[in-house]
Amino acid sequence: MAYTTFNRQINDQLKEPMFFGNPVNISRYDQQKYGIFEKLIEKQLSFFWRPEEVDVSKDRIDYQNLPEHEKHIFISNLKYQTLLDSVQGRSPNVAFLPIVSLPELETWIETWAFSETIHSRSYTHIVRNISAEPHKVFDDIMLNEKILQRAEDVTRYYDALIDGVNLYQRCGEGNHTINGESQNISLYELKRRLYLCVMSVNVLEAIRFYVSFACSFAFAERELMEGNAKIIRLIARDEALHLTGTQHMLNIMAAGDDDPQMAQIAKECEEEAYAIFRKAAEQEKDWAEFLFKDGSMIGLNKDILCQYVEYITNSRMQAIGLKPIFSTTQNPIPWINTWLVSDNVQVAPQEAEISSYLVGQIDNEVDGGDFGDFDL
Amino acid sequence: MPNVKISGNSAIAFDGTAPTLLTALEQHKLQVNFHCRQGYCGACRCKLLQGEVQYLNEPLAFVRKGEFLPCCSIPLTDIEIEIP
Repeated sequence: MAYTTFNRQINDQLKEPMFFGNPVNISRYDQQKYGIFEKLIEKQLSFFWRPEEVDVSKDRIDYQNLPEHEKHIFISNLKYQTLLDSVQGRSPNVAFLPIVSLPELETWIETWAFSETIHSRSYTHIVRNISAEPHKVFDDIMLNEKILQRAEDVTRYYDALIDGVNLYQRCGEGNHTINGESQNISLYELKRRLYLCVMSVNVLEAIRFYVSFACSFAFAERELMEGNAKIIRLIARDEALHLTGTQHMLNIMAAGDDDPQMAQIAKECEEEAYAIFRKAAEQEKDWAEFLFKDGSMIGLNKDILCQYVEYITNSRMQAIGLKPIFSTTQNPIPWINTWLVSDNVQVAPQEAEISSYLVGQIDNEVDGGDFGDFDL
Repeated sequence: MPNVKISGNSAIAFDGTAPTLLTALEQHKLQVNFHCRQGYCGACRCKLLQGEVQYLNEPLAFVRKGEFLPCCSIPLTDIEIEIP
């Protein structure tokens, strides 16, 4: 079935599945199959922020005073996050929009990907501030073995889905010979690729980001790189929401009311889902080893970070109905939670319709006394 | 004053000094995972074994049958919960 930007077929959108039904024609939200996606859109919009609002100028001095091995930790994480958000800023649009069938989900995907582009821009904002030669940092991403290794697993599932959907929308189901190569395309196989892709995106947002987050907040616990931590805090808040979005998609798919085939696929892919989680956790542990190869930082070392990876992997797996694979049950870095609370969002009672907005994002005046009750 | 029984622990009373169940649990030094504290991340997900809770804000996070989010709820009746 070819994609069309305005599907002329008159359909009942409430009867469409999330994906692989009719392309969306009217973007209407008066009726919704899954109201949760509009709620996510509203929440995401209330989170809106711009990197320029956060002053990172003090970070420059902090960065220059960091010992070499801590510079390595900081900048490597930034590079990895840049890669992750480069992928996330475009891929949900390219992969999911051509096959989505519900207007509220279509708009959620667009809103989600847009917020990732803000993250990408914020990395440039940070790098420009700490380095006189930002190009060197970005140029290295494409040459860094450790980052490229993980990029392969981050993008593989997206690419497989996009490739299959392209072929399906051009030629339909069946055996096709394209440029002398024979390819078999079935809707069932595409749905399988879709399920695995959403699963791998879930893993990306649920686990991969958090290793970097932990390091950023560990610096900030020592009153270092605090501008960066403020930005990462905003990014972490967005990611928690995106994660909820993919968890909803996975759970709706697995329940089968939306598309009975997806429930069957979810069952069939269970082993693969476990494998995706396990591999991501292993890769992130390898990354922790690379980060701390020249030395640890105060409050965080390779072992603690690996335990955190295990802990967070378990908790993310349980959220989508999988069994935990690691024995770690306690959060080894409980202080990270304080950084992940969205207490910088305030509700204004004078507003007719209560909406959340940001406060305190531009306050750079931090007195030493403000951290009086902090313990390292 | 609803009672909150925690599997494997003694019960605590929800006496109204805490705005949410999560805060009440924390006041009694019970460790519950949390991130957003607003019901959208689902990090504090616990099992609700018995009783009923009321949400102060409808949670955005996916909540399965038999689970609830303590960060944005209060007990309506005596409840029994399990912290993962």
